[in-house]
Amino acid sequence: MLKRLLITLAFLLPGSLHAADLRVVATTNSMGALATAVGGERISLTVLAPPDRDAHFLQARPSMMRDLRRADLVIAVGAELEAGWLPVAVKRAANRDIQPGQPGHFEAAEHLELLDVGESGAGHTHASGNPHFNLDPRRMRTLLPALAERLADIDPAGASVYEANAAAAVARVEARMSEWQTKVAEAPGAVFHHADTRYLMDWLDVPTLGYLEPVPGVPPTARHIRELAESLDGRDGVIIHAPYYSESGPGKLADALGWPIEQRHTEPSEPTLAGWLDLIDGWVDALAPRN
Amino acid sequence: MPQTLPDPRSVALVATALLPLLPISAQANDLPMNPKLSVILDGVYYDDSLDGSGDAMLGETAGIFAAHGHDHEDEGDHGGHEHGLEQGFNLRHTEVVLSGSVDGMFDARLNVAISDEGDVELEEAFVASTGLPAGLRIKAGKFYSGIGYANEKHPHDWDFVDQNIAYRTLLGDHGLSDTGLQLTWLPAWDHYTLFGIEAFQGDKNERLGTEAEHADDLPDRDKAPRLWTAFAKWSTDLGHDHALQLGASAAFFRSHQEMHHHGEMDEHGLDGDARLYGVDAVYKYDSGQAYGQGDWRISGEYLWVDKNLEVAHHESNQGVIGEARDFSEDGLYVQATYGIAPRWEVGLRYDAVGFTNEKRGPRPAVNTDYDESERWTAAATWHISETSRIRAQVAQVSGAFDDHREDYTQFYLQYQMSLGAHGAHNF
Repeated sequence: MLKRLLITLAFLLPGSLHAADLRVVATTNSMGALATAVGGERISLTVLAPPDRDAHFLQARPSMMRDLRRADLVIAVGAELEAGWLPVAVKRAANRDIQPGQPGHFEAAEHLELLDVGESGAGHTHASGNPHFNLDPRRMRTLLPALAERLADIDPAGASVYEANAAAAVARVEARMSEWQTKVAEAPGAVFHHADTRYLMDWLDVPTLGYLEPVPGVPPTARHIRELAESLDGRDGVIIHAPYYSESGPGKLADALGWPIEQRHTEPSEPTLAGWLDLIDGWVDALAPRN
Repeated sequence: MPQTLPDPRSVALVATALLPLLPISAQANDLPMNPKLSVILDGVYYDDSLDGSGDAMLGETAGIFAAHGHDHEDEGDHGGHEHGLEQGFNLRHTEVVLSGSVDGMFDARLNVAISDEGDVELEEAFVASTGLPAGLRIKAGKFYSGIGYANEKHPHDWDFVDQNIAYRTLLGDHGLSDTGLQLTWLPAWDHYTLFGIEAFQGDKNERLGTEAEHADDLPDRDKAPRLWTAFAKWSTDLGHDHALQLGASAAFFRSHQEMHHHGEMDEHGLDGDARLYGVDAVYKYDSGQAYGQGDWRISGEYLWVDKNLEVAHHESNQGVIGEARDFSEDGLYVQATYGIAPRWEVGLRYDAVGFTNEKRGPRPAVNTDYDESERWTAAATWHISETSRIRAQVAQVSGAFDDHREDYTQFYLQYQMSLGAHGAHNF
């Protein structure tokens, strides 16, 4: 009975679609920026998480499974950032080429050394390490050749193109790095909403003065804001948070300390290398000392 | 959090039977081998305006499943665990979930429910393929059927404290759950479209697909699989903010048996087949704000059950043997939740059964029509973090019972906490 059904279903399948492009699905615009920088004209890209959303809290949606069903490669951040939705979407997409362990499943975190590994505390923490390395030019630079290698595994005909694209992208990133660091050399430090700036601050060597969330994943409380204001009284700094968070917590802290508030997304608005460079520019500007 | 646990391979022994179907292409590098373990603790304080008897009564509303008083022959199969909430403090099932990848070609999942008295019930234990071509997946073992929308959801994934009364009455508190095989096909189409068929053993369900106990006088049952289902789901891409999924399902129960008035003078047994049809719709809105604020989840289902049975045994009246007994009953629910503030959610639900609710036979004396029962429920949930929540819920029931109607109010206060990570939830 089952065999007969399988044969019937196989008969119903449309003839194998032969698209010229490699179909790449990225979970975030940062991962998409890597894909377009390395894949260039050889790939077509779909990004699952909109850039103005917190990728932690997405849900597996039918449209994601539709996109993953037809993908040749999925590029994920990893380190449990997408744990709430990607595993189930990949599983239910019923595409064996992109299952974990297959060449079509690229998790960026596996190619990097992460910060805060094994830290298990209260609230939303990632034991496998902090997954917010997309604001770190050093780690993003490392990922470019790693992705070129993976694309070449799947599409050997494009190997030399991928390698050349990756090298060009690495050069574009490196050309900006010392300029960014110089701009924030005298920066007083900042308060953020969530530890998604951990790598950025580590690389720029600018002090993180606190987080608005009392515990990762828990919204700011009045008491926590009061304690932050007390401990930072008399210091100079800036409050930077993503626009999707409420403005009331940062507002109270800014009033108490007389600090400016800056809103920054943690993902580029476009999945391109240019978009990602703009994103870092924006963060560096927000952190840079005001005259 | 990393868990050091026994290798899950033993769970997957069943799956080896399926291996010949698979192309051997899995490579085992970088596989998340460690299974995820989580424990979900669930407690409810319950009260109602009937001194606490109102929740158990919801499983006994007038209709084709309760027309003869107690006809749940299978209660003995449930290890004595009781789903009705009692007045006061209730420790609901503690769910233990173990899930992970077996070897790159199979995933496995084990769901065990521990009652407040320590009885253990296997809710799900299945292996599912991940290596089949052409969008096909096979699942084998004991699992929640893919019919409907709410059916696959475990209590920790419900938007309200309790199961809707459409499911509870027509399928049972757990929905349709059985041992068998599922095949799904997700074609590579522009719109998400999923087709599924299932074959089940069909004898340990709560309401449909049951085998009568003490059924010596009933005919032998057909060979398994005695329960077949088919379902389809469809969704169109509405961008990042909106998502809509529509579904339709059917289930065919061969050899459904019931024993009525067991141990009494007019004890009789029925044998025949039953069908279930359902349609479902889900809409979700993602506002883009943090911590669920402004998000909507709206879902609804309509279920219709039809049983065509024959009197196969009667303790005192041989004359009715062979007479037809046709039953039908329907049920529905519509529910919505809205993120009213960061981590705060309010919900409203309407659930009802028995708009169609009838028994038909060859003689007018047999024919019976039963009343409908309906309920309005309001809930407020505080998601303290991603792993803990507290929920308050009130409901107003207008129920039809054996020979009278009863209107009453229910009150629930619930905590649900999850220890450790389990697999992500489906849409």
